[in-house]
Amino acid sequence: MAEKKYLIIGGGVAGTTAAETVRQLDPGGEITIVSTEPHIFYSRIMISKPHFFLGKVPFDQIWLRKEAWYADKKINFIGGRTAAKFDTAARTATLDDGRVLNYDKLLLAIGVQARRWTVPGADKKGVFYVRTLEDGQGLMAAAKASKQAVVIGGGAIGFEMCELWKLSGLETTLIIREPHYWDPVLDEPSGRMIEDALEKNGIKVIRNQYVTEAYGGEAMEGVVLQDGTRLPCQAAAVGIGGMCPFGPAQEAGIKCNRGVVTNEFLETSAPDVWAAGDAAEYYDQIFEEQTQFGSWSNAQMQGRIAGQNMAGRRTPYRAVTFYAVSGLGINIAFVGTVAPVPGRQIIARGSREANAYARLIMKQGRLVGATMLNRTAEIGPLAKLIEKKLDLSARLAELADPKFDLKTLVV
Amino acid sequence: MADSKIAKLEVKRDICIGATPCIVAAPAAMELDGESKAVYKVKGGAKSSGPINRDQIEDPSVDDATLLIAAQSCPVKAIFLWDENGKQIYPE
Repeated sequence: MAEKKYLIIGGGVAGTTAAETVRQLDPGGEITIVSTEPHIFYSRIMISKPHFFLGKVPFDQIWLRKEAWYADKKINFIGGRTAAKFDTAARTATLDDGRVLNYDKLLLAIGVQARRWTVPGADKKGVFYVRTLEDGQGLMAAAKASKQAVVIGGGAIGFEMCELWKLSGLETTLIIREPHYWDPVLDEPSGRMIEDALEKNGIKVIRNQYVTEAYGGEAMEGVVLQDGTRLPCQAAAVGIGGMCPFGPAQEAGIKCNRGVVTNEFLETSAPDVWAAGDAAEYYDQIFEEQTQFGSWSNAQMQGRIAGQNMAGRRTPYRAVTFYAVSGLGINIAFVGTVAPVPGRQIIARGSREANAYARLIMKQGRLVGATMLNRTAEIGPLAKLIEKKLDLSARLAELADPKFDLKTLVV
Repeated sequence: MADSKIAKLEVKRDICIGATPCIVAAPAAMELDGESKAVYKVKGGAKSSGPINRDQIEDPSVDDATLLIAAQSCPVKAIFLWDENGKQIYPE
């Protein structure tokens, strides 16, 4: 019997982990990874971490595999190419250079791309996204060459870039459209805690405003705000969300929504096609709804499950994922699903005044997620409570008591 | 590398960012502490980023393979492992 052909679109953590997993289970199969980026697997998240950004570790630490690893594992790596067309009946993928690859099993680990900033002047030198290795190199160079910088967008990327610009010695201004940080994922007290941390560290926060233009010549010299204020800056880091590049998959008839839609086995609507990582909008067995979660650990675990299933197993993806970011004296963590969906009940635990505040997100009496500021030690018990799907409707008062030990509910 | 036995482990706290894949990989051995840093669950119910000796890990069911996968899963390479001769096993 001919060896199976496994085609993996995406060379990030989900795609690479899937390839590694397939190889463990199918020593003879043909495995090919196609990556839009020319680079072998690297640590995307290291780009925006202080020890790396400030050059405290060698640049080479960014690589998470060696070139030789691909040869050792007999994994073909095609870098700098995008899958432009799929035919799920003929089981082929056509790359943007016209090459046609056959597959028996296909994985879409296509990630998300940074949402583009569309204001006039957004193409000027000095405007950066925070996604690729080249973005990182550009940001690191700009941090050395600039005096003033802005950050556009109040999310995880915005928070990290505020810290990195500031640590690099730049006069830093954050511009958010919303009335408070991370609205509407976080409530006002949570958002203010983050703003307090930013402002305490000398970062200027401008709320309820957006940029109408990035001005200057070839290089940006500043931004104009909606109220006409001109803000001189030589660099802008834009973190306004991500978009899954699922166009070719959707054109091939694979069901897509915000991401590539899958069931709990990470199977898409097309036979022998899976999706994993940031791109997967999967059916979550714990939350009992379609979910998309962009985090390193989620992508890694989904890559493992997708790889197993491509190699012939049928394991459901079941995990409570979390996301944590810290800096400027504050710890931020999300566990479970934190999307602001109507009908959720929110239990406040702690307060802004106490500088330790969590919001427990309940769906029909069960905990499905939590946002935590300076309460990250509770991630463990909260993840267990979510995973166990316990009915907590009679325990709300205890959940709201910041002194109550959540671990006692888990046992 | 796979033949080396792990003798000593450490999470470098200044590098750890609390991204948590290590905890996903080795939930019986590791967790996040109050500063969002990964720690090993050591005997007597204590937590430690280390360096700790391998035999200090509380749960006897945790094997070397799991501890190695946890270290390799770290996207910022904050977890260091050494063998009995003090040779660094990971990061390579």
